[in-house]
Amino acid sequence: MEITNILLCGVGGQGILTSGRILALASMDANLDVKMSEVHGMAQRGGNVDSHIRIGEKVPSSLIPKGGADFLVSFEMLEALRYLDFLKPQGMCFVSNLKITPLGSSLKKGASYPENIEEILKKKAPVLKIIEAEKIAKEIGDMRMVNVILLGALSKNLKILTKTNFENGIKARFSPKIAPLCLKAFERGIENG
Amino acid sequence: MKKLMLGNEAVARGAYEGGCDFGSGYPGTPSTEILEALKDYDDVVVQWAPNEKVGYEVAMGVSLAGKRAIVTMKHVGLNVASDPLFSSSYMGVNGGLVCVSADDPNMHSSQDEQDNRLIAKAAKVLMVEPCDPEESRWMTKEAFELSEQFDSPIILRMTTRVCHQSGLIEPEERVSKKEKFFVKDIPKYVMLPANARQRRHKVEERLINALKFSNESDKWNPIFNGSKKIGIITTGVSFGYVYEIMAKEASILKLGLTNPLPLERMRRFAESVEKLYVVEELEPYIEDAMKAMGFKVFGSELRPYTGELNLTLVERMLKGEESTKITVDLSDVTINQRPPTLCPGCSHRGMFTMFRDMGLKVMGDIGCYTLGAVNPLKAMDSCMCMGASVGMAEGLTKFAKENDKVIGVIGDSTFYHSGITGLIDMVINKSTGTIVILNNDITAMTGGQPHPGTGFNIKGEDSPKIDLAEICKAVGVKRVRTVDPYNLEEVKKVLEEELSAKEVSVIIAKAPCVLTFRVNFNKIAKVNLDICNRCGKCIRVGCMAIGEKDGYPLIDETLCIGCGICVDVCDPLALSLVERK
Repeated sequence: MEITNILLCGVGGQGILTSGRILALASMDANLDVKMSEVHGMAQRGGNVDSHIRIGEKVPSSLIPKGGADFLVSFEMLEALRYLDFLKPQGMCFVSNLKITPLGSSLKKGASYPENIEEILKKKAPVLKIIEAEKIAKEIGDMRMVNVILLGALSKNLKILTKTNFENGIKARFSPKIAPLCLKAFERGIENG
Repeated sequence: MKKLMLGNEAVARGAYEGGCDFGSGYPGTPSTEILEALKDYDDVVVQWAPNEKVGYEVAMGVSLAGKRAIVTMKHVGLNVASDPLFSSSYMGVNGGLVCVSADDPNMHSSQDEQDNRLIAKAAKVLMVEPCDPEESRWMTKEAFELSEQFDSPIILRMTTRVCHQSGLIEPEERVSKKEKFFVKDIPKYVMLPANARQRRHKVEERLINALKFSNESDKWNPIFNGSKKIGIITTGVSFGYVYEIMAKEASILKLGLTNPLPLERMRRFAESVEKLYVVEELEPYIEDAMKAMGFKVFGSELRPYTGELNLTLVERMLKGEESTKITVDLSDVTINQRPPTLCPGCSHRGMFTMFRDMGLKVMGDIGCYTLGAVNPLKAMDSCMCMGASVGMAEGLTKFAKENDKVIGVIGDSTFYHSGITGLIDMVINKSTGTIVILNNDITAMTGGQPHPGTGFNIKGEDSPKIDLAEICKAVGVKRVRTVDPYNLEEVKKVLEEELSAKEVSVIIAKAPCVLTFRVNFNKIAKVNLDICNRCGKCIRVGCMAIGEKDGYPLIDETLCIGCGICVDVCDPLALSLVERK
C-alpha cells in the first residue's frame, strides 16, 4: 500500500491544525498508520501555516516532499498557489475561494494580491476544485465550519478513508454539542466536492 | 489501545509512565506543549519556572529528594541552564533526572540553530534521541531508568519535527518504583574543588559503563538489515526519511542513545558494509566520530550544513540528483510572502509606531514584540537573546552620540526570565538609560503561558503575583512610570520625559494580550474617504485589518477589534471609531 499524502495549508488561525487532527483521527479509525507535521510558534501570527498528513499501512516519516502530495487542501487562494509545487503531476487541489491579502502587499508597489489568481490556479493545478466554503459556512450559520466543509469535499475523492471514518474522526475531535453541526457541514462539503 | 499524540504529548505520556514525580521548565517553541500535557496527569507536580536555569535547579533538588523529575526547554534555553547542567553531571542523581532540549533546525521559531548534541558531549551526560511520537514515549519512560542506572542526568534531545509531529503511540502503565529519599552525601553533592576532582573520575567511569551498554543495546541502537552494499548510520527524525527511501536497498544502524556514541557497534556495522553514509541534521556529530576511527564516510558534503533534512534531500544524498520529482512550475508567478505580524489590536503596535516615529534606537528582546522589527514598523535595532535588551541598552546608552535616543524594550515574561539582573547593573553603574517593559500579562509568543506576574499557575490556580513596578523600585530604580499603550499622546510624553532624565528609568506599558485574553473593544475603525488625504500613516502601523486600495485604507471588519491606533495616527481625522453592532 502506497502512502497517501495530503497537504493542508492556509493562514494562521484558519483551523488548519484542527482539520489535520480530524484526518489523523479518521485514519486511526480506519486502522491505518498516520503521521502529521504541524507548525507552531511564530509562524502562527498571521503567517502561512501548513500541515502534512501521511496515511498508510506504515508511515516512517512525517514530511511530504515537493511533488509528492496526492491532495492539496488550501483554505485560501494565494496559499494554494504557494504550495502548488507540492502536488504530484496528477494531484488534486481543493481550494476555498477566500482571499486574504498579505500585509506586505499594501506596502510595496506592484506587489498586490494577484487579481487573476483563479486563472493562474486553473492553468497551473493538475486538477482544481474551487469550493465556496465561506458561503456554505454562512448558510449553515457558523464561519468556523469552513475546515469541515473542505474535508467533506476531500473525503469524496479520498479512497482510503470511508465516510464513517471521517464521521468518527469528527466525533472524536469535537464535543457532542458542536459535533452535529460539524457533521452537517461535512455533508455539505461532500455535496460540493 | 493506540492513541494519536503530538511528539511533545508523547514525551509527557512517557514521563508519566516512567514514574516522573515532577516537571518544570520555561516555555519555548518547540518544547512548550510537554509541560502543558504533563500537568493533566495525576501524581505529577508540574510548574513553570521563571527561567530554564531555575527550572533545572528545582528539578535537581527533586532528584536529590529521591524523586523523578523532568525539565523542559528549547535549545537556547539549555544555554541558560547549562551552568547547573555541567555541574550536575559531576554530582549525578538520586531520583532520575531528564532534561529535554528541543532543538530547532531551520530556526522556525528561534534565533539560532545550535546542535545541542555537542552540549551533551561536553557535559558528559547521557543523551537519547527519539524519531517519532512512539519513540518519544518509550525513550522518555526508559530515560528515568537510565538516569538512575548510570547516575547521570539524561538529555532527551528532540527537534521541531519530532516535537510537532503527531502519530500513533501505544500507551503503557505507570511503573511502580522503589521509594527513595534524600541521602546526605557531601562528597557527591557538594562541588568543592576537592570533591569535584574525585567526582571527575566518576564521570569518566559513567561514560565507560554507558559505552558498554550503548554498544550492546539492540533496543536503543537497532540495526535494520538490508543490502550490505550500502550502510547508513542515522538518528532522530532523519531515520524516518532514510528508512522510507532505503529500507530494502541498504542496512541501517539507527542510533537512539547518542552520548556516549556506541563506537564499537558503529565500527562493526561500518566493517559489514561496502559504502557507508551518515545521515544527520546540522553538525556532523556522528560523522566526525566515524572519521576519527578512520572510516571513509559520505555525509555532510552531500547535504546543506544548515536547516532540516527531508525526503527530497535525503534521496538526493543517497541516490544522486536524477531522482528529483516532477513539480508544478511556479517560476513565472510572483507569490507575496506572508510574514508573521503583530495581531490586530495588539498593545505593542502603538508603542513601536511611536518608537519609529520618534527615531529611537531600540535594543529589543525575545517575544511577540520582536515583530516590531519587521516591515512596516522596523522599530527594533537588535534582538540577541532572552533579557539582552537591558544590558545592551545600558551599553549603547553609555557611548551613544549626543542626540541618539536609546531604549531597551523587553516583554514581561522575558523581564522576569533574565531582565532583572540587567536592571540591577544599570542601577549600580549609574546608567541614565531607559527601559520599556511591554507588559501584556502573559508569555504570549509561545501560546499564552502564565509567568510570575500573571497571578495564576500552569493549572489555572491562583498564585502570588509579583509586581513589575515593585521589582524595579526594589532594585533601586527611582523613576518607574506606567502608561496605557493605546494612549499614544501619553506614551510620547512619558518617553520624552524619561529619555531626558539623567538617571535610569523604567516605563511599563500595561495592557492585556488581545489574543490570550480575547480582548475586543467592540468598536470598528471607519474611514471618511472625503477627508482622507492618502498619507498612508494608518497603513504604516502594520495592521492585518488595514488593507489598501488606490492609497486609501480598507478596514477588514472581521479582523478589526477597535483598538484605535490607526485612528490616533490619522492627522486629518479621516479615521474614527464606531460602535460594533
